[in-house]
Amino acid sequence: MKGDRILGVVLLIIAFVYGWEAVHFPEPFGGAETVGPETFPIMLSIILGISSIYLLIKPDADSEWPGVAMLSQLLFVIIALAIFTALLEPVGFIPATIFVVSFLCWRMGSKPVPALTTGVCCALSVFLLFNFVLDLHLPAGILEFG
Amino acid sequence: METLDFLLQGFAVALTFENLMFAALGALLGTLVGALPGLGPANGVAILIPLAFGMGLSAEASLILLTSVYAGAMYGGRISSILLNIPGDEPAMMTCLDGHPLALKGKAAESLAISAIASFIGSFLATIGLVILAPWLARFALKFGPAEYFALFTLAFATLGGITGKNQFKTVIAACIGLMIATVGIDLSTGNQRYTYDILELYEGIDFIIAIVGLFAISELLVFIEKHSSEGLKRVVLNKLKLTAADIIGILPTSLRGSVLGFIAGVLPGAGASLGSFISYTLEKRIIGDKGHFGEGDPRGIAAPEAGNNAAANGALVPMLTLGVPGSGTTAVLLAMLVSLNIQPGPMLFTQNADLVWGVIAALFVGNLILLLMNIPMVGVFVKLLSVPPKYLMPIVTLIASVGIYAISNSAVDLFFMIGFGVLGYILRKLEIPLVPIILGMLLGPEMEKSLRHALTLSNGDWSVLWSSSLAVGIWTLAVVGLITPYILGPILRRKMTKEAEKVQITGS
Repeated sequence: MKGDRILGVVLLIIAFVYGWEAVHFPEPFGGAETVGPETFPIMLSIILGISSIYLLIKPDADSEWPGVAMLSQLLFVIIALAIFTALLEPVGFIPATIFVVSFLCWRMGSKPVPALTTGVCCALSVFLLFNFVLDLHLPAGILEFG
Repeated sequence: METLDFLLQGFAVALTFENLMFAALGALLGTLVGALPGLGPANGVAILIPLAFGMGLSAEASLILLTSVYAGAMYGGRISSILLNIPGDEPAMMTCLDGHPLALKGKAAESLAISAIASFIGSFLATIGLVILAPWLARFALKFGPAEYFALFTLAFATLGGITGKNQFKTVIAACIGLMIATVGIDLSTGNQRYTYDILELYEGIDFIIAIVGLFAISELLVFIEKHSSEGLKRVVLNKLKLTAADIIGILPTSLRGSVLGFIAGVLPGAGASLGSFISYTLEKRIIGDKGHFGEGDPRGIAAPEAGNNAAANGALVPMLTLGVPGSGTTAVLLAMLVSLNIQPGPMLFTQNADLVWGVIAALFVGNLILLLMNIPMVGVFVKLLSVPPKYLMPIVTLIASVGIYAISNSAVDLFFMIGFGVLGYILRKLEIPLVPIILGMLLGPEMEKSLRHALTLSNGDWSVLWSSSLAVGIWTLAVVGLITPYILGPILRRKMTKEAEKVQITGS
């Protein structure tokens, strides 16, 4: 009930903002036509608006949400993926991959040593496969040689 | 006989050594994708699309590779249903009913072989159906103007929830979200910027491949972690295969009936593979009646749903190729691939890209044969894979998905977008908002808007043009029926399906 209500409110706001922006699009170069860039978005915002009001009136039963502990764990996973992305170019594919794969394996319940082994093997084999077999160059970063 | 000529040309494309290798590779990967826990067919195909691009494959080769993956995933899904009573994907649910009891009787290998043969028959017949029906439908679709197309796109969304869909409003919401994302970027016909907020990365719009991988693969990782399902499934030992010709002949009539029903369910909008296997199974049960021992390991009870769901999977390619309107998640992902190869599916596909389309159809025949040959002797290898624990598998899959996304344009920004879509996908899944209409919205959005504008420009802004032809009225009627039927039929069908599923639980425990 609560989940759908919150969703309904959020979607209603999105529909309103989206529609409001569409109404205020600048007039296209060469003058307005019968159907401009705003026609389709306005339709969408009306349909989304109606559907979100329906959600507010008749919400479904909530599915089970994880507790705070689990949510923070998921947050850590997201952060780890973001760190991987940030490290990929400056530091290189291999270190970034060893970090993210080992971390994910460990968070999914494997012991530290096998997790690290998986990370290292995975990083090396994917790097070699992509750079030399598939000819897709992944950033080498600090391990650049030659 | 024009069709036959085209088909022969298609075989000339599909039977080159390189393309045969891709079909075999695709079949192998597809079976893996279907068999491994936590990787659905849509997910598997989505992850492979950017990789196929990165490798610089030709359009034919990438299409052959990915359609073989699609066909293979349907084969792979049955392995865990038969051995462990855990359906790999939704259409494989009905296979549990007789497949698992037969496996419990010490006939696991026979059970797997029968299902492989029935799958082959289903796919094979449905591909023949595709060859006959698709060119005909494509010719018919040439009559469609922009107004009819606009109605057709609406029909696709209206029926996407399927007859068994729960809350139609949530499908509508998801479709709207997808269509809204599609409007981000520079408007093609006027050059206006829409919703870009002066962010350079948004000028070209949001790449749907990034959205697909994020919504499916990354959110799957989060769901897996949440459910703590990180251990592998239990190891199963296979008996030695003893299959006689009589066994195969025994399932033939069943497989034929199942294939026809499945194909029809696949072609029709809103039915899909789950319903295909369900209808095939229940009809077979009714025809054979007390003479069979359904639910206790009757081989015909395996053959019917397997032929049904494979036929439906191939049948679903008919509307996707001829009209550009996919009916399921996986065909939507295949459509994504076509669009990113700059091939616009639709009636013109059969005239403009005849080589390509017939090559793919021929590859379906070849791929199925490879799958049959691969699945009977090599099933032991796939069975071993079931025990790979997801705690090692999921991180690796996530990594490969990210590498593919990075390879599209060598930009880390795309990866941030992917992660963002992953979070969005997780939240939406929790709120039971279906993800497939979002993808479909992003894919069809530009075409849908274009046909609306064409129709309205031709009529000088008169909206009634949208329902002025009888064809358009027909499509609109179907769309309305598709949107409303689930409210009437849905609860009844769902109850029936769960009742059958409960029986599985009882016999399984």
